[in-house]
Amino acid sequence: MREAAAAPQGAPVIHLQDVTKVYDSGDNAVHALRGVSLEVGAGEAMAIIGPSGSGKSTLMHIVGCLDVPSSGEYFLAGTPVSRMSSRELARIRNQRIGFVFQAYNLLPRATILRNVELPMMYAGVPRAERQDRAREALRRVGLAERARNLPSQLSGGQRQRVAIARALVNRPSILLADEPTGNLDTQTGREILELFDELGAQGHTVVLVTHDMNVAAHAQRVIRLVDGQVANGQHAAPPAAGGPVA
Amino acid sequence: MTFRESIVDALVDVRLNKGRTTLQTLGVILGVASLVAVQGLTDAGRRQALNFFSELGGLRKILVLNKPIKERVQSARQLASDGLTWGDVQAIKRDVTYATQVDPISTNDLMVRSPSYLKERTIHGLTPDYQAVYKYFPARGRFLIDDDMASMARVCVLGDTAARLYFGNEDPLGKTLFIGDVGFRVVGVMRRKEFFFNEGDQNALEWMNRLTIIPITAMYARFTGDEKKRVNYINVMVDKVENNRKATLEIKKVLFRRHGGVEDFEVYNREERLRQQQSQGQVFDITFLVTGVVSLIVGGIVIMNIMLASLRERIREVGVRKALGARGLDVALQFLVESVLVTSIGGIVGLPLGMVFAGAITALIGQPAIITPRMAVVSVVASVATGLFFGLYPAVKAARLNPVEALRYE
Repeated sequence: MREAAAAPQGAPVIHLQDVTKVYDSGDNAVHALRGVSLEVGAGEAMAIIGPSGSGKSTLMHIVGCLDVPSSGEYFLAGTPVSRMSSRELARIRNQRIGFVFQAYNLLPRATILRNVELPMMYAGVPRAERQDRAREALRRVGLAERARNLPSQLSGGQRQRVAIARALVNRPSILLADEPTGNLDTQTGREILELFDELGAQGHTVVLVTHDMNVAAHAQRVIRLVDGQVANGQHAAPPAAGGPVA
Repeated sequence: MTFRESIVDALVDVRLNKGRTTLQTLGVILGVASLVAVQGLTDAGRRQALNFFSELGGLRKILVLNKPIKERVQSARQLASDGLTWGDVQAIKRDVTYATQVDPISTNDLMVRSPSYLKERTIHGLTPDYQAVYKYFPARGRFLIDDDMASMARVCVLGDTAARLYFGNEDPLGKTLFIGDVGFRVVGVMRRKEFFFNEGDQNALEWMNRLTIIPITAMYARFTGDEKKRVNYINVMVDKVENNRKATLEIKKVLFRRHGGVEDFEVYNREERLRQQQSQGQVFDITFLVTGVVSLIVGGIVIMNIMLASLRERIREVGVRKALGARGLDVALQFLVESVLVTSIGGIVGLPLGMVFAGAITALIGQPAIITPRMAVVSVVASVATGLFFGLYPAVKAARLNPVEALRYE
């Protein structure tokens, strides 16, 4: 089951085993995830879909090491995550995972360049190298000339491109995107999705969380979550309801 | 995240919130200014005290005094002890290795008569060492010399005011002054001594100008007729200030031995006393100290409040930073750096303001204002400590935010 950190192509980068997540909200516990098992291989692009409240955000937080399972185990490139300290989790988020959010989540007071530098600051990359790499990442998303601007001076699509540049700048193995096109118009959304396609083609493992079938269609594999359980998907247990999507 | 980057981020934040920063720093500015003023006044006071002491022998002087025994019923030993004597002086001279001058003072109240003066006055029996201890030198004529001691000479030296008192505008040199009906030839008139603590004060050293001085040996021979040759007090000059403590111990040892173990004397180490006086503080100092500390606390609470408010505005930012790999420590550091930066600005502004306060008050009480490095040290320490202390709670709070909840926060 467990595999070396440098997993060979096709081996699972993400491996969830019967993961549950229970939130204690006062008297009644909320079961956000009820035993989710899935594997995502290196270089695979997967979409997680489902109605709101189905647990897809919780799943993404766990995959992104922002949260830990209540039970079950999550192996990231073969390493179990549950026993890691918050410090180690921070390091994993910094080195192995790139986040892209629906609301872009750029720091409003920092320039575009500095926003992209941020993950490298936490990684302790020296200033000169940091700036070079940030500029290179901005060039890749076509925004090199906006380095000195503030996020408020950019359009939504441009901001999301900056967020993608920021997510990629530490060369993570996994790119997690939570409704990356939710705040964008159709045309801009398509451009962003094309960028994800490109990244997938370059060998990044991409996990998209969305409720939009058109977005999910960009993934090779679609997992549908209903009430905290996987309702389909090739590795999912019950071959029940829903059928293939999109 | 490096410390430097945290400072850059904090600078950006401070620059973008000038109004807020100004309000935040006011309390700290006033607090630091007050504390700087306290330090300035303390330093000014210390310098005054040092200047005054240096007129009277400086910090190298150790004072040995008689201490009357208080018990109603005294032991035979206590009764046998004579207090400080000429013999003690010789013993200290011989046995206290750090002593450079040993200057005994023996006084006696006697009638003084000149052609235009007749009154009882306190006469000082002294040795030649006196002038070195008090830096008290003759304006005309000479001071006592060793020959005067040996011969118990009937010569006297007068302070400036005393000379005028006894002889008016006439030249007293060579004239005869009758002390206790014994004629003494005036051989010297001393230079005036002056010291003013505050402008308009009386001359704190006028008593020296009123001295009537004769050789201590003549005092014993002509007036006290005393086998024991008592002295009122002894000034012992030590070669170096650092040796004060050791010299004090040595003097005590010598005197204990000679007084049969009876402690009928006191040894004052001036340096130590000065330190005690300082710690007691002065009225102005305490007022400013309290004002300063209260302002700093109020300023600190304001800063804590504003940091908490700014944390509320930035919960999402903290979530994003954590998602990008910030550890709790990175987040805490970022907030701490910002609060320390804000209080440091308060410290930078407070320092000159405090100097102005100190200057105004010293001018008010007529003392010379001084600026010392310690004032800067106080401003740095006070402002940084306030920032650290009151920034800690918001910083820890930020560091402990759950990243998932922080990211969801609207």
